[in-house]
Amino acid sequence: MAFDAFQKRRERQLLRLLLPALIPLAVLIIYPALYSVYLSMTNEALTGLAAAKPRFVGAANYFRLFSDARFWNSLFVTFVFVVGSAIIGQFVIGFIAALALKRKIVGGSVFGAAILLPNAAPEVVAGFMWISMLAGGDHATLSKILIALGLPWADWLQTFPLFMVTMVNTWRGIGTAMILLTAGLSAVPTEVYEAARMDGANPRQMFMRITLPLMAPTIFLYMLISTVSTISVFGLVYALTRGGPGGKTEVISVYIYNQSFTNFQLGYGAAGAVVALVVSLALGIAYVRSLKVEV
Amino acid sequence: MAGVNSPRQGAYTALAYVTLIVISIFCLLPFIWMALASVDSNAQLFLKWPDSWTFDNYIRVFAEENGVRWFANSLFTVLSATILVVIISGLGGYALSRSKAWWKQPFLYGILLIRVLPSTALLVPLYKILLTANNGMGALVRPWAGENYRAIMQMVGFIDGYLGLIIVLATGQLPLALWIMKVFFDGVPKDYEEAAILDGATLVQRIRRVLIPLALPGLAAAGLFAFMSAWGDFLLPLILLSSPELQTLPIGLFRAFLRINEIDYGLLAAIATIYLIPAVIAFSFARRFLVQTFSGGVKG
Repeated sequence: MAFDAFQKRRERQLLRLLLPALIPLAVLIIYPALYSVYLSMTNEALTGLAAAKPRFVGAANYFRLFSDARFWNSLFVTFVFVVGSAIIGQFVIGFIAALALKRKIVGGSVFGAAILLPNAAPEVVAGFMWISMLAGGDHATLSKILIALGLPWADWLQTFPLFMVTMVNTWRGIGTAMILLTAGLSAVPTEVYEAARMDGANPRQMFMRITLPLMAPTIFLYMLISTVSTISVFGLVYALTRGGPGGKTEVISVYIYNQSFTNFQLGYGAAGAVVALVVSLALGIAYVRSLKVEV
Repeated sequence: MAGVNSPRQGAYTALAYVTLIVISIFCLLPFIWMALASVDSNAQLFLKWPDSWTFDNYIRVFAEENGVRWFANSLFTVLSATILVVIISGLGGYALSRSKAWWKQPFLYGILLIRVLPSTALLVPLYKILLTANNGMGALVRPWAGENYRAIMQMVGFIDGYLGLIIVLATGQLPLALWIMKVFFDGVPKDYEEAAILDGATLVQRIRRVLIPLALPGLAAAGLFAFMSAWGDFLLPLILLSSPELQTLPIGLFRAFLRINEIDYGLLAAIATIYLIPAVIAFSFARRFLVQTFSGGVKG
Protein backbone atom coordinates (compact mmCIF):
# COMPACT_ATOMS: atom_id res chain seq x y z
CA MET A 1 0.00 0.00 0.00
CA ALA A 2 2.79 2.40 0.87
CA PHE A 3 4.37 1.63 -2.47
CA ASP A 4 1.09 2.37 -4.27
CA ALA A 5 0.80 5.73 -2.58
CA PHE A 6 4.36 6.55 -3.51
CA GLN A 7 3.72 5.55 -7.11
CA LYS A 8 0.61 7.70 -7.26
CA ARG A 9 2.40 10.73 -5.87
CA ARG A 10 5.21 10.22 -8.35
CA GLU A 11 2.81 10.05 -11.31
CA ARG A 12 1.19 13.29 -10.14
CA GLN A 13 4.62 14.90 -10.01
CA LEU A 14 5.39 13.72 -13.52
CA LEU A 15 2.09 15.04 -14.84
CA ARG A 16 2.95 18.42 -13.31
CA LEU A 17 6.25 18.39 -15.23
CA LEU A 18 4.33 17.76 -18.42
CA LEU A 19 1.81 20.57 -17.89
CA PRO A 20 4.01 23.38 -19.29
CA ALA A 21 4.07 21.42 -22.57
CA LEU A 22 0.46 20.26 -22.45
CA ILE A 23 -1.10 23.71 -21.98
CA PRO A 24 0.41 25.54 -24.97
CA LEU A 25 -0.14 22.51 -27.23
CA ALA A 26 -3.79 22.32 -26.18
CA VAL A 27 -4.47 26.07 -26.45
CA LEU A 28 -2.46 26.91 -29.56
CA ILE A 29 -2.71 23.73 -31.67
CA ILE A 30 -5.48 21.32 -30.58
CA TYR A 31 -8.06 23.99 -29.85
CA PRO A 32 -7.41 25.90 -33.11
CA ALA A 33 -7.71 22.63 -35.04
CA LEU A 34 -11.13 21.94 -33.48
CA TYR A 35 -12.14 25.58 -33.76
CA SER A 36 -11.43 25.55 -37.49
CA VAL A 37 -14.09 22.84 -37.85
CA TYR A 38 -16.62 25.17 -36.21
CA LEU A 39 -15.37 28.16 -38.20
CA SER A 40 -15.84 26.25 -41.44
CA MET A 41 -19.58 26.11 -40.71
CA THR A 42 -19.95 29.89 -40.36
CA ASN A 43 -19.78 32.73 -42.86
CA GLU A 44 -17.16 34.54 -40.80
CA ALA A 45 -15.26 37.17 -42.81
CA LEU A 46 -12.89 40.04 -42.20
CA THR A 47 -14.83 42.48 -44.38
CA GLY A 48 -18.42 43.04 -45.49
CA LEU A 49 -21.73 42.25 -43.77
CA ALA A 50 -20.66 38.89 -42.38
CA ALA A 51 -17.74 40.50 -40.55
CA ALA A 52 -20.07 42.30 -38.15
CA LYS A 53 -22.38 39.39 -37.49
CA PRO A 54 -21.16 35.95 -38.49
CA ARG A 55 -23.88 33.30 -38.84
CA PHE A 56 -23.91 29.52 -38.66
CA VAL A 57 -24.31 28.25 -42.22
CA GLY A 58 -23.96 24.49 -41.77
CA ALA A 59 -22.32 22.68 -44.64
CA ALA A 60 -22.77 25.56 -47.10
CA ASN A 61 -19.03 26.31 -47.24
CA TYR A 62 -18.32 22.69 -48.07
CA PHE A 63 -20.90 22.64 -50.89
CA ARG A 64 -19.31 25.78 -52.24
CA LEU A 65 -15.82 24.37 -51.80
CA PHE A 66 -16.59 21.17 -53.68
CA SER A 67 -18.09 23.11 -56.57
CA ASP A 68 -15.19 25.56 -56.66
CA ALA A 69 -12.94 24.80 -59.64
CA ARG A 70 -10.11 26.69 -57.95
CA PHE A 71 -10.24 24.35 -54.95
CA TRP A 72 -10.10 21.23 -57.15
CA ASN A 73 -7.29 22.88 -59.07
CA SER A 74 -5.36 23.41 -55.84
CA LEU A 75 -5.87 19.76 -54.84
CA PHE A 76 -4.53 18.73 -58.23
CA VAL A 77 -1.59 21.11 -57.95
CA THR A 78 -0.82 19.81 -54.44
CA PHE A 79 -0.97 16.23 -55.70
CA VAL A 80 1.47 16.92 -58.55
CA PHE A 81 3.71 18.92 -56.21
CA VAL A 82 3.83 16.17 -53.56
CA VAL A 83 4.20 13.23 -55.94
CA GLY A 84 6.68 15.09 -58.14
CA SER A 85 8.96 16.40 -55.41
CA ALA A 86 8.58 14.19 -52.33
CA ILE A 87 7.80 10.80 -53.88
CA ILE A 88 9.75 10.98 -57.14
CA GLY A 89 12.26 13.84 -57.25
CA GLN A 90 13.81 13.86 -53.78
CA PHE A 91 13.58 10.11 -53.41
CA VAL A 92 15.12 9.14 -56.75
CA ILE A 93 17.92 11.71 -56.72
CA GLY A 94 18.56 11.18 -52.99
CA PHE A 95 18.72 7.41 -53.49
CA ILE A 96 21.11 7.80 -56.42
CA ALA A 97 23.32 10.06 -54.31
CA ALA A 98 23.23 7.61 -51.40
CA LEU A 99 24.18 4.69 -53.68
CA ALA A 100 27.00 6.71 -55.26
CA LEU A 101 28.34 7.75 -51.85
CA LYS A 102 28.41 4.09 -50.75
CA ARG A 103 31.40 3.57 -53.04
CA LYS A 104 34.87 4.62 -51.94
CA ILE A 105 34.67 8.23 -53.09
CA VAL A 106 37.40 10.80 -52.53
CA GLY A 107 35.77 13.87 -50.94
CA GLY A 108 32.58 12.04 -50.09
CA SER A 109 31.88 14.32 -47.15
CA VAL A 110 32.29 17.40 -49.37
CA PHE A 111 29.68 16.05 -51.78
CA GLY A 112 27.48 15.17 -48.83
CA ALA A 113 27.73 18.69 -47.42
CA ALA A 114 27.00 20.27 -50.82
CA ILE A 115 23.90 18.13 -51.30
CA LEU A 116 22.69 18.88 -47.75
CA LEU A 117 23.17 22.64 -48.01
CA PRO A 118 19.78 23.39 -49.65
CA ASN A 119 18.15 21.71 -46.66
CA ALA A 120 19.61 24.35 -44.36
CA ALA A 121 18.31 27.28 -46.43
CA PRO A 122 15.20 28.95 -44.98
CA GLU A 123 12.22 28.79 -47.35
CA VAL A 124 12.30 32.48 -48.26
CA VAL A 125 16.02 32.38 -49.06
CA ALA A 126 15.46 29.31 -51.22
CA GLY A 127 12.63 31.08 -53.07
CA PHE A 128 14.75 34.18 -53.58
CA MET A 129 17.76 32.25 -54.91
CA TRP A 130 15.61 30.37 -57.39
CA ILE A 131 14.10 33.60 -58.67
CA SER A 132 17.59 34.29 -59.98
CA MET A 133 17.76 30.86 -61.60
CA LEU A 134 14.32 30.92 -63.20
CA ALA A 135 12.74 34.38 -63.47
CA GLY A 136 13.21 37.02 -66.13
CA GLY A 137 13.10 35.04 -69.37
CA ASP A 138 16.49 35.21 -71.10
CA HIS A 139 17.97 36.96 -68.04
CA ALA A 140 17.49 33.94 -65.80
CA THR A 141 20.64 32.00 -64.89
CA LEU A 142 19.19 28.77 -66.27
CA SER A 143 18.38 30.49 -69.58
CA LYS A 144 21.88 32.02 -69.75
CA ILE A 145 23.45 28.60 -69.26
CA LEU A 146 21.25 27.03 -71.94
CA ILE A 147 21.94 29.92 -74.34
CA ALA A 148 25.68 29.48 -73.77
CA LEU A 149 25.26 25.80 -74.66
CA GLY A 150 23.27 26.76 -77.76
CA LEU A 151 20.01 25.35 -76.39
CA PRO A 152 16.55 26.97 -76.33
CA TRP A 153 15.40 28.88 -73.26
CA ALA A 154 11.99 29.74 -71.80
CA ASP A 155 10.32 32.02 -69.31
CA TRP A 156 10.44 29.19 -66.78
CA LEU A 157 8.05 30.40 -64.10
CA GLN A 158 5.48 31.48 -66.70
CA THR A 159 5.68 28.53 -69.07
CA PHE A 160 6.31 25.59 -66.71
CA PRO A 161 5.39 27.04 -63.31
CA LEU A 162 4.28 23.84 -61.56
CA PHE A 163 7.19 21.81 -62.87
CA MET A 164 9.63 24.49 -61.73
CA VAL A 165 8.14 24.83 -58.23
CA THR A 166 8.23 21.05 -57.92
CA MET A 167 11.86 21.01 -59.02
CA VAL A 168 12.82 23.67 -56.45
CA ASN A 169 11.18 21.67 -53.68
CA THR A 170 13.01 18.58 -54.95
CA TRP A 171 16.24 20.55 -54.71
CA ARG A 172 15.48 21.37 -51.08
CA GLY A 173 14.89 17.79 -49.97
CA ILE A 174 17.51 15.68 -51.79
CA GLY A 175 19.84 15.95 -48.78
CA THR A 176 17.36 14.59 -46.23
CA ALA A 177 16.43 11.73 -48.52
CA MET A 178 20.11 10.97 -49.08
CA ILE A 179 20.92 10.93 -45.34
CA LEU A 180 17.97 8.73 -44.38
CA LEU A 181 18.49 6.31 -47.26
CA THR A 182 22.22 6.12 -46.51
CA ALA A 183 21.30 5.05 -42.99
CA GLY A 184 18.95 2.45 -44.44
CA LEU A 185 21.58 1.19 -46.89
CA SER A 186 24.20 0.76 -44.20
CA ALA A 187 21.73 -1.39 -42.25
CA VAL A 188 21.71 -3.99 -45.07
CA PRO A 189 24.29 -6.62 -43.98
CA THR A 190 27.24 -6.92 -46.39
CA GLU A 191 27.24 -10.75 -46.12
CA VAL A 192 24.03 -10.81 -48.13
CA TYR A 193 25.78 -9.05 -51.02
CA GLU A 194 28.81 -11.32 -50.71
CA ALA A 195 26.60 -14.41 -50.92
CA ALA A 196 24.75 -13.01 -53.93
CA ARG A 197 28.03 -12.19 -55.67
CA MET A 198 29.20 -15.77 -55.09
CA ASP A 199 26.04 -16.96 -56.79
CA GLY A 200 26.93 -14.76 -59.76
CA ALA A 201 24.31 -12.04 -59.32
CA ASN A 202 24.94 -8.83 -61.27
CA PRO A 203 24.62 -5.38 -59.66
CA ARG A 204 21.21 -4.79 -61.16
CA GLN A 205 19.87 -8.06 -59.79
CA MET A 206 21.41 -7.32 -56.41
CA PHE A 207 19.73 -3.92 -56.36
CA MET A 208 16.30 -5.23 -57.40
CA ARG A 209 16.34 -8.43 -55.31
CA ILE A 210 18.29 -7.40 -52.20
CA THR A 211 18.64 -3.66 -51.73
CA LEU A 212 15.10 -2.61 -52.63
CA PRO A 213 13.21 -5.32 -50.69
CA LEU A 214 15.37 -4.90 -47.58
CA MET A 215 15.03 -1.12 -47.77
CA ALA A 216 11.27 -1.21 -48.34
CA PRO A 217 10.27 -0.34 -44.73
CA THR A 218 12.71 2.61 -44.60
CA ILE A 219 11.53 3.83 -48.00
CA PHE A 220 7.88 3.57 -47.01
CA LEU A 221 8.42 5.54 -43.80
CA TYR A 222 10.48 8.12 -45.63
CA MET A 223 7.71 8.60 -48.20
CA LEU A 224 4.99 9.02 -45.59
CA ILE A 225 7.02 11.62 -43.70
CA SER A 226 8.03 13.56 -46.77
CA THR A 227 4.49 13.46 -48.18
CA VAL A 228 3.06 14.92 -44.99
CA SER A 229 5.73 17.60 -44.68
CA THR A 230 5.41 18.52 -48.36
CA ILE A 231 1.65 19.10 -48.01
CA SER A 232 2.41 21.85 -45.50
CA VAL A 233 5.06 23.65 -47.58
CA PHE A 234 4.02 27.29 -47.79
CA GLY A 235 6.87 29.82 -47.71
CA LEU A 236 8.81 28.35 -50.62
CA VAL A 237 5.90 28.45 -53.06
CA TYR A 238 4.63 31.76 -51.74
CA ALA A 239 8.03 33.44 -52.11
CA LEU A 240 8.53 32.03 -55.61
CA THR A 241 5.12 32.49 -57.26
CA ARG A 242 2.50 33.34 -54.62
CA GLY A 243 0.39 30.65 -56.26
CA GLY A 244 0.46 32.12 -59.75
CA PRO A 245 0.44 32.50 -62.63
CA GLY A 246 -3.34 32.07 -62.68
CA GLY A 247 -3.40 29.54 -59.83
CA LYS A 248 -1.06 27.13 -61.62
CA THR A 249 1.10 26.70 -58.51
CA GLU A 250 -1.58 27.30 -55.88
CA VAL A 251 -0.93 24.37 -53.53
CA ILE A 252 -3.50 23.82 -50.79
CA SER A 253 -1.62 25.82 -48.14
CA VAL A 254 -1.36 28.81 -50.48
CA TYR A 255 -5.04 28.38 -51.41
CA ILE A 256 -6.06 28.49 -47.74
CA TYR A 257 -3.85 31.52 -47.17
CA ASN A 258 -5.25 33.36 -50.18
CA GLN A 259 -8.88 32.63 -49.27
CA SER A 260 -8.40 33.65 -45.65
CA PHE A 261 -5.97 36.55 -45.80
CA THR A 262 -6.28 37.91 -49.34
CA ASN A 263 -10.03 37.43 -49.87
CA PHE A 264 -10.75 37.71 -46.11
CA GLN A 265 -13.27 34.83 -46.17
CA LEU A 266 -12.33 33.18 -42.92
CA GLY A 267 -15.20 30.68 -42.77
CA TYR A 268 -14.69 29.56 -46.34
CA GLY A 269 -10.93 29.40 -45.91
CA ALA A 270 -11.47 27.26 -42.80
CA ALA A 271 -13.43 24.70 -44.86
CA GLY A 272 -10.38 24.32 -47.10
CA ALA A 273 -8.22 24.09 -43.97
CA VAL A 274 -10.38 21.28 -42.56
CA VAL A 275 -9.95 19.28 -45.77
CA ALA A 276 -6.16 19.74 -45.53
CA LEU A 277 -6.24 18.76 -41.84
CA VAL A 278 -8.23 15.59 -42.52
CA VAL A 279 -5.94 14.48 -45.34
CA SER A 280 -2.80 15.16 -43.28
CA LEU A 281 -4.24 13.42 -40.23
CA ALA A 282 -5.15 10.34 -42.26
CA LEU A 283 -1.59 10.13 -43.58
CA GLY A 284 -0.27 10.81 -40.08
CA ILE A 285 -2.29 7.95 -38.62
CA ALA A 286 -0.97 5.64 -41.34
CA TYR A 287 2.53 6.79 -40.38
CA VAL A 288 2.06 6.22 -36.66
CA ARG A 289 0.55 2.79 -37.25
CA SER A 290 3.31 1.64 -39.60
CA LEU A 291 5.97 3.00 -37.28
CA LYS A 292 4.71 0.66 -34.54
CA VAL A 293 6.12 3.13 -32.05
CA GLU A 294 6.95 1.50 -28.77
CA VAL A 295 5.78 4.09 -26.32
CA MET B 1 36.91 -13.05 -60.56
CA ALA B 2 38.60 -9.86 -59.42
CA GLY B 3 40.20 -9.46 -62.83
CA VAL B 4 36.80 -9.56 -64.53
CA ASN B 5 35.19 -7.22 -62.05
CA SER B 6 37.79 -4.49 -61.76
CA PRO B 7 37.24 -2.53 -65.01
CA ARG B 8 33.51 -2.69 -64.49
CA GLN B 9 33.91 -1.55 -60.88
CA GLY B 10 36.09 1.29 -62.15
CA ALA B 11 33.36 2.34 -64.55
CA TYR B 12 30.79 2.31 -61.77
CA THR B 13 33.03 4.47 -59.59
CA ALA B 14 33.54 6.94 -62.44
CA LEU B 15 29.78 7.04 -62.94
CA ALA B 16 29.38 7.70 -59.20
CA TYR B 17 31.72 10.70 -59.43
CA VAL B 18 29.95 12.16 -62.44
CA THR B 19 26.55 11.73 -60.76
CA LEU B 20 27.72 13.32 -57.52
CA ILE B 21 29.31 16.26 -59.32
CA VAL B 22 26.14 16.93 -61.34
CA ILE B 23 23.88 16.74 -58.26
CA SER B 24 26.28 18.94 -56.26
CA ILE B 25 26.31 21.63 -58.97
CA PHE B 26 22.51 21.56 -59.07
CA CYS B 27 22.46 21.97 -55.28
CA LEU B 28 25.14 24.67 -55.06
CA LEU B 29 24.44 26.89 -58.08
CA PRO B 30 21.80 29.09 -56.39
CA PHE B 31 24.11 29.61 -53.39
CA ILE B 32 26.99 30.57 -55.67
CA TRP B 33 24.84 33.21 -57.34
CA MET B 34 23.76 34.61 -53.98
CA ALA B 35 27.29 34.71 -52.56
CA LEU B 36 28.72 36.41 -55.67
CA ALA B 37 25.82 38.86 -56.02
CA SER B 38 26.20 39.93 -52.40
CA VAL B 39 29.78 41.15 -53.02
CA ASP B 40 29.18 42.50 -56.54
CA SER B 41 29.07 46.29 -57.00
CA ASN B 42 26.73 45.73 -59.96
CA ALA B 43 24.79 42.58 -59.10
CA GLN B 44 22.25 41.27 -61.61
CA LEU B 45 19.41 38.78 -61.59
CA PHE B 46 21.61 36.18 -63.27
CA LEU B 47 24.82 34.48 -62.19
CA LYS B 48 27.89 36.45 -63.20
CA TRP B 49 31.39 37.24 -62.01
CA PRO B 50 31.40 40.48 -59.90
CA ASP B 51 32.29 43.70 -61.76
CA SER B 52 34.25 44.72 -58.72
CA TRP B 53 34.36 43.21 -55.25
CA THR B 54 32.77 45.22 -52.48
CA PHE B 55 31.20 44.90 -49.04
CA ASP B 56 28.97 47.86 -49.81
CA ASN B 57 25.84 45.69 -50.03
CA TYR B 58 26.37 44.37 -46.52
CA ILE B 59 27.08 47.85 -45.19
CA ARG B 60 23.89 49.14 -46.80
CA VAL B 61 21.80 46.39 -45.17
CA PHE B 62 22.74 47.94 -41.85
CA ALA B 63 22.99 51.61 -42.91
CA GLU B 64 20.07 52.14 -45.33
CA GLU B 65 17.78 49.28 -44.35
CA ASN B 66 16.91 48.34 -40.81
CA GLY B 67 19.27 45.38 -40.94
CA VAL B 68 20.46 45.57 -37.34
CA ARG B 69 16.89 45.74 -36.14
CA TRP B 70 15.75 42.79 -38.31
CA PHE B 71 18.65 40.66 -37.22
CA ALA B 72 18.20 41.55 -33.54
CA ASN B 73 14.45 40.85 -33.74
CA SER B 74 14.99 37.46 -35.39
CA LEU B 75 17.69 36.48 -32.96
CA PHE B 76 15.74 37.64 -29.90
CA THR B 77 12.46 35.95 -30.78
CA VAL B 78 14.02 32.71 -32.05
CA LEU B 79 16.48 32.36 -29.17
CA SER B 80 13.76 33.08 -26.59
CA ALA B 81 11.53 30.47 -28.22
CA THR B 82 14.44 27.98 -28.29
CA ILE B 83 15.16 28.49 -24.58
CA LEU B 84 11.48 28.00 -23.76
CA VAL B 85 11.42 24.81 -25.84
CA VAL B 86 14.54 23.43 -24.17
CA ILE B 87 13.14 23.98 -20.67
CA ILE B 88 9.62 22.75 -21.36
CA SER B 89 10.67 19.75 -23.44
CA GLY B 90 13.33 18.79 -20.90
CA LEU B 91 10.73 18.58 -18.13
CA GLY B 92 8.03 17.08 -20.34
CA GLY B 93 10.34 14.59 -22.04
CA TYR B 94 11.46 13.33 -18.64
CA ALA B 95 7.85 12.89 -17.52
CA LEU B 96 6.98 11.06 -20.76
CA SER B 97 9.93 8.74 -20.38
CA ARG B 98 9.36 7.84 -16.72
CA SER B 99 5.59 7.78 -16.45
CA LYS B 100 3.56 4.58 -16.61
CA ALA B 101 0.22 6.36 -16.47
CA TRP B 102 -2.67 5.89 -18.90
CA TRP B 103 -2.11 9.28 -20.57
CA LYS B 104 1.38 8.47 -21.73
CA GLN B 105 0.55 6.57 -24.89
CA PRO B 106 -2.25 8.86 -26.16
CA PHE B 107 -0.01 11.86 -25.52
CA LEU B 108 2.89 10.39 -27.51
CA TYR B 109 0.63 9.47 -30.43
CA GLY B 110 -0.84 12.95 -30.12
CA ILE B 111 2.47 14.76 -30.51
CA LEU B 112 3.37 12.64 -33.54
CA LEU B 113 0.04 13.56 -35.14
CA ILE B 114 0.36 17.26 -34.26
CA ARG B 115 3.53 17.32 -36.33
CA VAL B 116 1.60 16.52 -39.50
CA LEU B 117 -0.93 19.36 -39.19
CA PRO B 118 -0.19 22.04 -41.80
CA SER B 119 0.30 25.37 -40.03
CA THR B 120 -1.59 27.36 -42.67
CA ALA B 121 -4.66 25.31 -41.76
CA LEU B 122 -4.48 26.44 -38.11
CA LEU B 123 -3.73 30.06 -38.81
CA VAL B 124 -7.16 31.67 -38.77
CA PRO B 125 -8.39 30.19 -35.47
CA LEU B 126 -4.95 30.76 -33.98
CA TYR B 127 -5.14 34.40 -34.99
CA LYS B 128 -8.56 34.76 -33.36
CA ILE B 129 -7.32 33.20 -30.12
CA LEU B 130 -4.31 35.49 -30.08
CA LEU B 131 -6.52 38.49 -30.80
CA THR B 132 -8.65 37.68 -27.75
CA ALA B 133 -5.56 37.19 -25.62
CA ASN B 134 -4.16 40.44 -26.96
CA ASN B 135 -7.30 42.37 -25.98
CA GLY B 136 -7.07 40.85 -22.52
CA MET B 137 -3.43 41.88 -22.20
CA GLY B 138 -4.33 45.35 -23.52
CA ALA B 139 -6.98 45.74 -20.81
CA LEU B 140 -4.38 44.77 -18.19
CA VAL B 141 -1.72 47.14 -19.48
CA ARG B 142 -3.78 50.18 -20.47
CA PRO B 143 -4.76 51.51 -17.00
CA TRP B 144 -1.20 52.11 -15.84
CA ALA B 145 0.84 52.35 -19.04
CA GLY B 146 -0.13 55.87 -20.10
CA GLU B 147 1.79 57.04 -23.14
CA ASN B 148 4.05 53.97 -23.07
CA TYR B 149 1.06 51.78 -23.94
CA ARG B 150 2.15 51.02 -27.49
CA ALA B 151 5.78 50.34 -26.57
CA ILE B 152 4.75 47.96 -23.78
CA MET B 153 2.26 46.14 -25.99
CA GLN B 154 5.02 45.57 -28.55
CA MET B 155 6.79 43.63 -25.81
CA VAL B 156 3.96 41.70 -24.18
CA GLY B 157 1.26 41.77 -26.88
CA PHE B 158 0.05 38.61 -28.58
CA ILE B 159 -0.62 40.27 -31.93
CA ASP B 160 2.17 42.49 -33.24
CA GLY B 161 4.20 41.88 -30.08
CA TYR B 162 7.27 39.84 -29.20
CA LEU B 163 5.56 37.69 -26.57
CA GLY B 164 2.91 36.29 -28.91
CA LEU B 165 5.40 35.40 -31.63
CA ILE B 166 7.79 33.77 -29.14
CA ILE B 167 5.07 31.63 -27.54
CA VAL B 168 3.59 30.49 -30.85
CA LEU B 169 7.03 29.77 -32.33
CA ALA B 170 7.97 27.75 -29.25
CA THR B 171 4.72 25.77 -29.26
CA GLY B 172 5.27 24.76 -32.87
CA GLN B 173 8.65 23.23 -31.99
CA LEU B 174 7.47 21.42 -28.85
CA PRO B 175 6.23 18.13 -30.36
CA LEU B 176 9.56 17.21 -31.95
CA ALA B 177 11.55 18.45 -28.95
CA LEU B 178 9.39 16.41 -26.54
CA TRP B 179 9.90 13.36 -28.70
CA ILE B 180 13.67 13.84 -28.82
CA MET B 181 13.84 14.29 -25.03
CA LYS B 182 11.56 11.34 -24.32
CA VAL B 183 13.73 9.04 -26.45
CA PHE B 184 16.83 10.53 -24.86
CA PHE B 185 15.68 9.93 -21.29
CA ASP B 186 14.66 6.39 -22.24
CA GLY B 187 18.37 5.80 -22.74
CA VAL B 188 19.37 7.27 -19.36
CA PRO B 189 19.49 4.58 -16.65
CA LYS B 190 17.19 5.15 -13.71
CA ASP B 191 19.91 4.15 -11.21
CA TYR B 192 21.16 7.70 -10.77
CA GLU B 193 17.73 9.04 -9.87
CA GLU B 194 16.95 6.12 -7.62
CA ALA B 195 20.20 6.69 -5.76
CA ALA B 196 19.26 10.34 -5.40
CA ILE B 197 15.78 9.41 -4.14
CA LEU B 198 17.31 7.09 -1.55
CA ASP B 199 19.55 9.98 -0.47
CA GLY B 200 16.36 11.92 0.18
CA ALA B 201 16.71 14.41 -2.68
CA THR B 202 13.54 16.29 -3.62
CA LEU B 203 12.25 16.40 -7.19
CA VAL B 204 13.77 19.85 -7.77
CA GLN B 205 17.13 18.72 -6.41
CA ARG B 206 17.04 15.60 -8.59
CA ILE B 207 16.33 17.67 -11.67
CA ARG B 208 19.06 20.21 -10.95
CA ARG B 209 21.87 17.96 -9.75
CA VAL B 210 21.24 14.73 -11.62
CA LEU B 211 19.00 15.12 -14.63
CA ILE B 212 20.15 18.39 -16.20
CA PRO B 213 23.83 17.34 -16.36
CA LEU B 214 22.82 13.97 -17.82
CA ALA B 215 20.40 15.49 -20.29
CA LEU B 216 22.68 18.12 -21.85
CA PRO B 217 23.34 16.28 -25.15
CA GLY B 218 19.63 15.64 -25.65
CA LEU B 219 18.76 19.23 -24.78
CA ALA B 220 21.35 20.40 -27.30
CA ALA B 221 19.73 18.33 -30.06
CA ALA B 222 16.22 19.48 -29.15
CA GLY B 223 17.40 23.09 -29.00
CA LEU B 224 19.19 22.92 -32.37
CA PHE B 225 16.14 21.58 -34.19
CA ALA B 226 13.90 24.12 -32.49
CA PHE B 227 16.27 26.93 -33.45
CA MET B 228 16.52 25.86 -37.10
CA SER B 229 12.82 25.43 -37.59
CA ALA B 230 11.89 28.69 -35.81
CA TRP B 231 14.64 30.61 -37.62
CA GLY B 232 13.30 29.44 -41.00
CA ASP B 233 9.66 30.15 -40.17
CA PHE B 234 8.13 32.70 -42.50
CA LEU B 235 4.38 32.31 -42.03
CA LEU B 236 4.11 33.31 -38.35
CA PRO B 237 6.03 36.61 -38.48
CA LEU B 238 4.23 37.36 -41.76
CA ILE B 239 0.85 37.08 -40.04
CA LEU B 240 1.62 38.16 -36.49
CA LEU B 241 3.89 41.19 -36.95
CA SER B 242 3.00 44.45 -38.65
CA SER B 243 5.01 47.22 -36.93
CA PRO B 244 8.20 48.06 -38.85
CA GLU B 245 10.14 48.06 -35.55
CA LEU B 246 9.27 44.39 -35.02
CA GLN B 247 10.15 43.05 -38.49
CA THR B 248 12.36 39.97 -38.61
CA LEU B 249 14.85 38.93 -41.31
CA PRO B 250 12.54 36.74 -43.44
CA ILE B 251 9.93 39.48 -43.61
CA GLY B 252 12.55 42.16 -44.27
CA LEU B 253 13.87 40.08 -47.15
CA PHE B 254 10.40 39.33 -48.51
CA ARG B 255 9.23 42.97 -48.34
CA ALA B 256 12.47 44.30 -49.86
CA PHE B 257 11.91 41.87 -52.70
CA LEU B 258 8.33 43.04 -53.30
CA ARG B 259 9.47 46.60 -54.11
CA ILE B 260 9.33 45.52 -57.74
CA ASN B 261 10.37 48.76 -59.43
CA GLU B 262 13.63 49.08 -57.56
CA ILE B 263 14.94 45.55 -57.09
CA ASP B 264 18.49 45.81 -55.84
CA TYR B 265 19.91 42.31 -56.19
CA GLY B 266 23.16 43.05 -54.39
CA LEU B 267 21.31 44.33 -51.34
CA LEU B 268 18.81 41.45 -51.36
CA ALA B 269 21.58 38.88 -51.71
CA ALA B 270 23.38 40.45 -48.76
CA ILE B 271 20.21 40.27 -46.59
CA ALA B 272 19.61 36.67 -47.66
CA THR B 273 23.21 35.70 -46.89
CA ILE B 274 23.03 37.27 -43.42
CA TYR B 275 19.79 35.37 -42.84
CA LEU B 276 21.25 32.12 -44.17
CA ILE B 277 24.48 31.97 -42.15
CA PRO B 278 23.03 31.18 -38.67
CA ALA B 279 20.81 28.52 -40.27
CA VAL B 280 23.80 26.83 -41.89
CA ILE B 281 25.83 26.93 -38.68
CA ALA B 282 22.98 25.37 -36.69
CA PHE B 283 22.40 22.76 -39.39
CA SER B 284 26.04 21.72 -39.46
CA PHE B 285 25.81 20.97 -35.72
CA ALA B 286 22.43 19.25 -36.05
CA ARG B 287 23.44 17.06 -38.97
CA ARG B 288 24.56 14.12 -36.84
CA PHE B 289 21.19 14.00 -35.07
CA LEU B 290 19.22 13.87 -38.34
CA VAL B 291 18.93 10.11 -38.56
CA GLN B 292 18.06 9.57 -34.89
CA THR B 293 15.17 12.02 -35.07
CA PHE B 294 13.81 10.28 -38.17
CA SER B 295 11.48 8.18 -36.04
CA GLY B 296 10.04 11.36 -34.56
CA GLY B 297 8.94 12.42 -38.00
CA VAL B 298 11.43 15.22 -38.53
CA LYS B 299 12.05 16.64 -41.92
CA GLY B 300 13.69 19.99 -42.39
